[in-house]
Amino acid sequence: MESKVKRWSNALICVWTGIVLLFFFLPIAAVIISSLGKSRYFRFPVKTWSGKWYEQTINANLTENLHITSLYVAACVAAIAVVLGFFGALAFARYDWKGRIFYQRLIMLPIFFPQAVLGLALLLWFTYIGVLPTWEAAVFAHLVWIAPIVTLVISIQVYGFDVSQEEAAYDLGANRFQVFWEVTLPALAPGLFSGALFAFLLSWGNFSLSTYTTGADSTVTEWLYTKMSSGYTPMIPTMGAFSVYGSVIILFLGYIFLIAQRRRAAKRA
Amino acid sequence: MGDGAPILEIKGITKQFGKLLAVNNVSLDIVDGEFFTIVGPSGSGKTTLLRMLAGLEKPSGGDVVLRGNVVNDVPANKRPTCMVFQSLALFNHRTVGQNIEFSLKMRGVSRAERKVRAMELMKTVRLPEDYYAKGVTKCSGGERQRVALARALASDPDIMFFDEPLSAIDYQLRKHLEVELKDLHRETGKTFMYITHSLEEAMVMSDRIGIMQAGHLIQVGTPDEIYSRPLNKFVSEFMGEVNTLGVKRSADGKFECAELSAQLAGPAQAGNSDTGYLVIRPESMRFLSDPSEADNHVKGSLFNEYAMGSRVQYHVRAGGYMLVVEKLREQAYQGKIDDDVIIGWDVKDSVLVSD
Repeated sequence: MESKVKRWSNALICVWTGIVLLFFFLPIAAVIISSLGKSRYFRFPVKTWSGKWYEQTINANLTENLHITSLYVAACVAAIAVVLGFFGALAFARYDWKGRIFYQRLIMLPIFFPQAVLGLALLLWFTYIGVLPTWEAAVFAHLVWIAPIVTLVISIQVYGFDVSQEEAAYDLGANRFQVFWEVTLPALAPGLFSGALFAFLLSWGNFSLSTYTTGADSTVTEWLYTKMSSGYTPMIPTMGAFSVYGSVIILFLGYIFLIAQRRRAAKRA
Repeated sequence: MGDGAPILEIKGITKQFGKLLAVNNVSLDIVDGEFFTIVGPSGSGKTTLLRMLAGLEKPSGGDVVLRGNVVNDVPANKRPTCMVFQSLALFNHRTVGQNIEFSLKMRGVSRAERKVRAMELMKTVRLPEDYYAKGVTKCSGGERQRVALARALASDPDIMFFDEPLSAIDYQLRKHLEVELKDLHRETGKTFMYITHSLEEAMVMSDRIGIMQAGHLIQVGTPDEIYSRPLNKFVSEFMGEVNTLGVKRSADGKFECAELSAQLAGPAQAGNSDTGYLVIRPESMRFLSDPSEADNHVKGSLFNEYAMGSRVQYHVRAGGYMLVVEKLREQAYQGKIDDDVIIGWDVKDSVLVSD
């Protein structure tokens, strides 16, 4: 009796998980499928498969430029946000100082600000102080929103860090810099990594802030939106598919790296 | 020990945090090579005292003198002392070997030399050799303890400080590590200064014990001195389960215990006040078949008994007190719960203490 109930509940869990996964991944699959169809509009099932949209997209010389702009922005945002977020997180979670509570509240504000409004506000401000909207300006705009998030992400790691490790290192003869370099930084490295990853992905996928502040430079997301509103072509899902392929390759490489590292560690031990 | 030259002199040291006086005018000499333990409840200032000695905290007043030099302004990384922290503060992202070698690396010792030294130390603290490349997070509680010890020893400090490193360890392992720590003290010949809230732990390991209460160092002595002549009620009760009877000196030299409505014979030592407490240890109490068998006796009823390994403990309700009697198993009391019993003790086994 009980095993029957258990079998049922297991089956339902499987079905539920399957539905959720399908719901998550079907849209991505749809993008890839529509990029591979020959017809101009998305039809399912696909009647004739074709690589012509890939050819056109690559020949249009768009892929490279758009992705490079997006990459530049995201990489700069990740690098700067991690530095800002690291020291911000130390102030947020590590040290007790007068005004800390106020600082903790203040730093959250940009996150709660609607991005479209924030983008507009930044554009107005850039114009006023004479900064031209370019991808560099977009980096700054992204940072206003992303640096606080990265600060919070790293703070979680800082909260879990046993401060007495720093004291122990100091007591064992390390100077302040060595304490930082040998103990604090490596202990917080996982937080810095996830902070950087967050920053990169949030910047990579950002549209609202970019659309106000990149000016003539266009990111992938901006291009997708512009194309969508000015006339659909399967180049749009093709461009999307390129991003998906990129992600898959990166994930795959990361996985291989992880396995290689585990093998190496096992060999050493 | 006790007659050597002091390696560390603490002279009227004080630490103030805002309005809180955490350590209040503590003076103490630590003899070279001794195992000194400071005992006190949480908040008594013992950790703050130790942190000042290690250089992690600056004293608000007084001097710390190490081998004749005032070291008040010498920071922790320049002092020849090393601390084992309560949390152990192991570097979790490093291996056992890297943890132990840390101080040597900071001194620029070569990699090969460091490893040789680390291996030696691992042997000293009884860690298996193949632990060298193991991550510290994969070690058990006792092993982590040993890594922390080896790491502190690696810097070859003049004094080792211990900030309750055993407090988070389960009872059996703790007992084992206490013994190991005392052996390590003997093997290394270094000065150990240990703090704990457990007088029992202090008794096992220490040459001398200092007791702290509310920022003051109130009594210093050998374990035996503290055990047999506690300064006051606080110290005597801190030592574990004792019978503490509130008494008042009466004209005939006896002591009147209102709670038991009894006249008790007490030690003849001169007290400066007329009221105080008679302290009798549970193992000095015995069951009497006749009141004349001991200097003092109290009538009561057996409330409960507790088997404690080699000993049996009894709680006897008498007047407003629950008195504790402890016997070896082979001398256990033969009787039943709720028996009317007479318990007693001799004057020589009691101590009179002030409040």
